[in-house]
Amino acid sequence: MGAPRSVAVVATAQTELRSAWSNAQHVDLISSTVMRLLRIAGIGLADVDFVIDSGSDVLDGRSISNCGFLGAMGAHHKEESRVEEDGLWAATYGATKIAAGAAEIGLIIAYSKPSESDVSLFYASQVEPFYQRPVGFDHLAASGLQAQQYIRMGGSEADFAKVTARAWEQAAQNPFVDIEAAPSEQEIASGEMVAAPLRRHMMARSVDGCVAVLLAGAEVARGMSSQPVWITGMGSAMDNHAFPVRKPGRLEACEAAARAAYNRAGLDPRSASIAEVSGSSAAGELMVLEALGLSKPGQGFDTYSGPTAINLSGGALPADPIMATGLLRLADAHRQLTQPKVFGLASPETAIVHAAGGVGMQTHCVVTLGV
Amino acid sequence: MLLAPDTHPIDRPPLKSTLSMPYTLTPGRAAGVFLAEAKNRRLVGARCVSSGLVSVPAQDFCPATGGSEMELVEAPETGTITGFTQTAAGIIATLRIDGADFDCVHRILEASFDELEIGARVEAVWAEETTQSILAVVGFRLAPGAPVGEVRPLQHAAEPLPMVPYHLDLHYEHAFGPFYGRMFDEIGTNRRLIGVRSTAIDGALLPPREVDDISYTKTGTWMTVPDTGTVRAMSVIHLEFKGQKEKPPYIYAEIQLDGAVTRLIHSVKGIDMSRASELVKPGTRVRAVWSDARTGALSDISHFEPVPDGDEAASL
Repeated sequence: MGAPRSVAVVATAQTELRSAWSNAQHVDLISSTVMRLLRIAGIGLADVDFVIDSGSDVLDGRSISNCGFLGAMGAHHKEESRVEEDGLWAATYGATKIAAGAAEIGLIIAYSKPSESDVSLFYASQVEPFYQRPVGFDHLAASGLQAQQYIRMGGSEADFAKVTARAWEQAAQNPFVDIEAAPSEQEIASGEMVAAPLRRHMMARSVDGCVAVLLAGAEVARGMSSQPVWITGMGSAMDNHAFPVRKPGRLEACEAAARAAYNRAGLDPRSASIAEVSGSSAAGELMVLEALGLSKPGQGFDTYSGPTAINLSGGALPADPIMATGLLRLADAHRQLTQPKVFGLASPETAIVHAAGGVGMQTHCVVTLGV
Repeated sequence: MLLAPDTHPIDRPPLKSTLSMPYTLTPGRAAGVFLAEAKNRRLVGARCVSSGLVSVPAQDFCPATGGSEMELVEAPETGTITGFTQTAAGIIATLRIDGADFDCVHRILEASFDELEIGARVEAVWAEETTQSILAVVGFRLAPGAPVGEVRPLQHAAEPLPMVPYHLDLHYEHAFGPFYGRMFDEIGTNRRLIGVRSTAIDGALLPPREVDDISYTKTGTWMTVPDTGTVRAMSVIHLEFKGQKEKPPYIYAEIQLDGAVTRLIHSVKGIDMSRASELVKPGTRVRAVWSDARTGALSDISHFEPVPDGDEAASL
């Protein structure tokens, strides 16, 4: 067996992220995204060796929902599989196939229409049904408990408001996020308490949207793109399903996922040019930054003024298309690495991309990129 | 993006749908005994034989080591708050039951959020009615100075509860989008079946869509098809199952409407069901029988029925 082949992100496409795409079905969002991706990449569907997609049957309201979306995804009579995790996991699955030499070009798609369902039920369905679900423990409660633990590590409610305000300001400059008016820091700090100490805007806002990413092996990638962005490391890990058994104030699964990715890439996270992360709450975003090694424990807030550009996209707080959020982070990092001037970046060379899933961010995936 | 050809904006209210999922959950030994003992007002925990670590409520595996040899214990009804939050569901806390090595989650009762603090002592509040659920303990209330309890061997454990009936109702409001929206509008308003032209094969795609699945090219203009067609496949359904719309036996058929390149699934009725497979088979000509309802759904077609030989020729 030879060494694994290099794999690159060669193109990305996405819809706008809206609180509700009420005049479009999943298939409408998917087909328009994939058609645009192929046009950008300058290839036809015949060139694509496989399709891997991410979505949630519970959110979509139909079993094996990908089967109904195959035509829109361009997967007719193609090798297709579905990952019931965020699309960033689908990208690692696709990259592994190409690295192993089993394929040359892979199409990765993630889609989400949480506006069609009840997000609290989506999370409740993931909670243990004998001891936890009946007492009202859910994703909100887990996030609130996590935020309280984080305050004990050195964080503060004021930091949560600042992090949230910054995220919305960044998102307001992101042409792909539909925002009427970004809430001010004061509005955030006095918002409705939804999971004490977290207020309304401090929990990620669910949005609808679709994103598609094209991956290719080294030779093909160089032929297709003048700016291939290389996947240099990948890692994923899962924490204990029982939230109260996880280590308070830390995201150990995120630390493990990052360690695996950095080891493969030989990357010191503090040297990374860009980080695009998915925190499901303001406290969660700070904890992710710490778990990724971008700051010391309890000092995540300092990361925003450090050398790494954090979530120029706005991240997950203003726009969380559940199941597609992490793959969007990959598309955002790809744009920042290939069009640095648009984002006011000098000459970025590396990026850390992060996705999370589950109640209180049980699962984590980290991908590192380089140009 | 997302503009359907020759179409006014579609403004249909979303399709409301509920998935009602029945379950029979299997709690296993540890949770099964915990739930069975709830009616005796005993809290059951489990000690991992190899690590000695205690979980309350009882678990079948040690959360720290994964050890599966567990002995059940009786846990005290007192503990300490290790964290708390407040949501629309009330005050939810992480608790460390006395003698346990891991936290659990439960409600805090009879207290305001502001008077809680980490380290506060609590005691279980039992439900007045016995119930075989974690909610046999309705929650915990503050118990300042409550003595620290101890874990004891569980004497005369009840048989584990083998099964817990459960159901989950999931509610949806599905958007129609410009293509399905126009199709259902035409069905409801004009009793007309409309698709889009395939750019790969000469004919209409129903339901209509932005992209042709097979050629992956953009589809063409709208194309109306008649409500007559040919059965391409059929099945007589005898089995009863959950979510069924009709009482068996009935026929489901794949019908290729005239001019369409796709097949539509609908029921075929109006025949002697004892001769179903003889009267309806691939090649049988059928026509739609419209219901009186005009809801803009495929159910506005009540069913299809076979066209008697000679009828079509006569009408031409």
